[in-house]
Amino acid sequence: MNSDVPVTSRRQVRRVAGAALGAVSLLALSACGSADPAAAGASASPVTFKPVKQEEGSQITVWADAARVPGVQAYQKAHPDVKIKIVTYSGDANGANDLQTKVRLFDRTGSGWPDVAFSANVNDGSWTTQGKTPFAAPVDKGLIPQSTLNGFAYGALNPCKFNGTTYCLRNDLAQNVLWYNKKLLDKFGYSVPTTWEEYEALGKKVAKEHPGYLVGTAGDAWSPEVYFWASQCPASTVTDGNKVKVDLQDAKCTRMAKLLDSLIAQGSVSKDTVFSAGFVKNQASKVLMLPGPSWYGQVLFNSTFKIPKGQIAAASPLKFQGDAKNYTGNVGGGLWFVSSHSKNLKASADLVTWMTTSNEYQATAGTYPAYKEAAVAWLAGQKKTGYFAQDVGPVFQDAAELVWPGWSATQYSQEAIYSSTVVPALNSGKTLTDTLGTWQTAITDKAKSLGYTVN
Amino acid sequence: MTTHLATERSGRRGGRSARNPVGRAGYVFVSGYVLFLLAFGVLPTVYAVWLALSNSRNQLVGIGNFTRTFTDYRFGPAFLHIGLYLVVWLASLMILVVLLSLMLHGRMRRASTTLRFLFYLPGALAGVASVLLFLILLDPAASPVGWLLKGFGWNTLAQVNAPGHLPVLFTVIAFWTGAGGWIVVMYGALNSIPDEILEAARIDGASTLQIALRIQIPMITKWIAYMLILAFAAGTQLFVEPQLVSLASWGMIPDSWSPNQLSYQYAFQAGDFNGAAALSIDLLVLGLACAALVVFRTGLFDRDER
Amino acid sequence: MHRTRRPRSLAARLAWLIVMALAVLFFCVPVVWLLLATTKTDGQIVRDNPFSFGSPTAIADAWHHLYAFQEGAILTWLKNSALYTFGALAITLVTSIPAGYALALTQFIGRRMLLTITMLVMLMPTAAMVLPLYLGMNAVHLDGTIWSVILPFSFFPFGVYLTYIYFSSNVPADLLSAARIDGCSEWQVFRLVAMPLAKPVIALVGFFNFVGNWNNFFLPFVMLPDSSQYPAQVGLNNLLAASPLFNTSGGAGNQIMRPELALATLVTIVPVLIVFLFSQRALVAGMLAGATKE
Repeated sequence: MNSDVPVTSRRQVRRVAGAALGAVSLLALSACGSADPAAAGASASPVTFKPVKQEEGSQITVWADAARVPGVQAYQKAHPDVKIKIVTYSGDANGANDLQTKVRLFDRTGSGWPDVAFSANVNDGSWTTQGKTPFAAPVDKGLIPQSTLNGFAYGALNPCKFNGTTYCLRNDLAQNVLWYNKKLLDKFGYSVPTTWEEYEALGKKVAKEHPGYLVGTAGDAWSPEVYFWASQCPASTVTDGNKVKVDLQDAKCTRMAKLLDSLIAQGSVSKDTVFSAGFVKNQASKVLMLPGPSWYGQVLFNSTFKIPKGQIAAASPLKFQGDAKNYTGNVGGGLWFVSSHSKNLKASADLVTWMTTSNEYQATAGTYPAYKEAAVAWLAGQKKTGYFAQDVGPVFQDAAELVWPGWSATQYSQEAIYSSTVVPALNSGKTLTDTLGTWQTAITDKAKSLGYTVN
Repeated sequence: MTTHLATERSGRRGGRSARNPVGRAGYVFVSGYVLFLLAFGVLPTVYAVWLALSNSRNQLVGIGNFTRTFTDYRFGPAFLHIGLYLVVWLASLMILVVLLSLMLHGRMRRASTTLRFLFYLPGALAGVASVLLFLILLDPAASPVGWLLKGFGWNTLAQVNAPGHLPVLFTVIAFWTGAGGWIVVMYGALNSIPDEILEAARIDGASTLQIALRIQIPMITKWIAYMLILAFAAGTQLFVEPQLVSLASWGMIPDSWSPNQLSYQYAFQAGDFNGAAALSIDLLVLGLACAALVVFRTGLFDRDER
Repeated sequence: MHRTRRPRSLAARLAWLIVMALAVLFFCVPVVWLLLATTKTDGQIVRDNPFSFGSPTAIADAWHHLYAFQEGAILTWLKNSALYTFGALAITLVTSIPAGYALALTQFIGRRMLLTITMLVMLMPTAAMVLPLYLGMNAVHLDGTIWSVILPFSFFPFGVYLTYIYFSSNVPADLLSAARIDGCSEWQVFRLVAMPLAKPVIALVGFFNFVGNWNNFFLPFVMLPDSSQYPAQVGLNNLLAASPLFNTSGGAGNQIMRPELALATLVTIVPVLIVFLFSQRALVAGMLAGATKE
């Protein structure tokens, strides 16, 4: 009954398709601009920061994650005259990019930016400092006194720096130390290693004498930052503006890859991630040593692994025998930004300063404060909890100053690349050494796609 | 106004035109929807097309964004992934949904109501709510289906999420959350077939299989066609499942596994809305090609003039 | 009739049972696990048998922790979700049911074009629509208001198609012409003839619209600037991000662990399940009504 319909429809479609094709080819011919987004000069030379017209006493909007909101509320209580609107958001935890998504949209409409934003993603220090009008206001150009900036741990503000200017304040550090289970170690009669070579030897010994016990994990997203950063591997060295050096075949990378490969083969380094249910269930109680960030103590050993009081202790980061000194890496750490679009930079800067430096808030915070004075107060609090077998204070303070400065925050996440490229390869039976090439390509491709020059 | 229309029509030609009145009533009925269609469908689409054809300085660049995204190192893998996924996803959805709906239909009304509810349950768990579920479900050590995963020889989260497993894994998740809804639709469609027809066929000695193949399926072709078009489009636009699994596995899934994720990376990580729009238009064209094929094959747009 | 409906052989009956049992297992096992998870502590979820039952007090504990998150924010999220979804539901039904009806059973110039455009827009990846919608809302100064969520939620081409297919394959055009010959106006034909037959499709459209919007994360996330406006999905996302499971930067002070997340998940899907049950009733009732008419 409808036999004619398909025919007419086809004819119609052909006509429409023809018209569309014509239109597209016409557009293609008449194209005059370049499709290359980099041509827009999105990442051009540093722009001088020009504040918008300031309105003294105007309300500031603060974006923070649920963990930081109580701190902002405490600030509000201590400063009742400041008008603050608090917005809770994900805080970019676990690799989210909510802040970036929203700011991209705000940039299109030219309104909506928060005055102050917290981000738990240390890589947010990169994109916020770039573009035609960077989201972050420089803090070292009169916004926050140099004396305050000097109070942060060595290198703590590196992720905030772009072309020599500082754009944010660091909330917390996640400097890596060597965690170990003192009770187990004593029981087995081992001593704490001080070099990676001793660590490797001990790992092999553990595999032989106490199979099943672990001295590390290589399946965490942050494994590159725990092992390769400490090994001073040039996997992510931003040299100048948008130039990044990636060289995983450097001897300082291959030495770590070889070390981990040998221990993975022995079975004393796991390919799992410490937060997976399987690991928590089966391996958590068999962790003898674990190089990892300072927050492992409370977050991992105490509340996730549920290791009883008085067993866990921390030792200084390991050193390679041939190196002059020991270095360590850093896993994350939150950042506080003042928006370059803020109409009340003064109030915003004051809040950011208070959040990062005041003992009142930082002494009881969940993670190690980046501000040195606050860290002292924080460590006193940790001692009081009585959780650790030994005071972790000296080790933490020591490690905070040992973070190797050759590893930079980038717009892309090293963690995402490692866990989606290297971890599956490891679990399919490849070695780290075999995978370095693939890993190198993955980093290079991603960096280039975001406008970096890779060499 | 409606009465006016009616009187105008009542005195008109009989026969075919009485059944298919051409008049303003249709316009009135669709007017509200058309407003929304223009504001939230057509305008955004036109703007997206414009974005795909221009650059960030609003200059026309023709197909520049398309060629640029085409040469992206992630373009090929993303479309390959989605191709594999579509094969698994469409085959399983089409066959199983129709099969389950047919089996549910015509048998124990009460039981079938309960079963449809049970099948639908996971549909409520779409999105963020299910992250926790997959966090545990995919980890053989704690998973309620751990025995099954271990049966496949997968003993860790990383083994379950191995790159080769992903198309099937995402199909299972998408099927788990999406099939129940389609079963409800198909069941409703089957219900609209008059009992007399089926009864007559049975009396003629047709088997259950014959009834299904010769009567029931042909009579719900439009619904199946509709499901096919939407499932194909939804499949090409896969986004949620890889995101969820990535979140639940601490990033083991590449952030640009599917083209739609890649488009998202363009827009919000690189701030390149033009490249993102070009990728979306690619997906739109794919969806349209499938839709056109299905529409002409099944006469989805034709009015049934029984 | 009942005789012929029964499966003919034991084998067929057995096959039916096995397939259904497998399907029930597939769809329900994870849900059962989720229910049980709320009765356990975090440690029990990870270490115990997945199908063990914890204790009822654990549910209460989990609820206290969940409720304590941002001082009862979970209730605000649910309230907001209800506001957005029911608001959109009303507008959707008012616009898409008549539209689907007209597309199926009336003739007007542009009918086919409307169907084509609807299909085209429906196939457009939603990710691509976010920026245009955001800019559009900003241009008409609705950004940040609840309308920036409700209005886009109310555009539901999927529902128009469902209605279109339903009417075009279930309601004979003769029925309508008979009514017209009886002197019914177009409006009366719609209201008195089509509407009573449309109950199942209204239930379907309403249900899918509700669920789609209830579970929509990205649009409200993009549109709403204030955490007091967040619907359940955006709130849940924040809850996830606040859990030490995913957010190691928060330290160990937070109580949101697996049981709390499981409970939050269940609490947010309860409304969906209630709406499902209601719409199912309408679906069946509608079908029965249709049957008696025959």
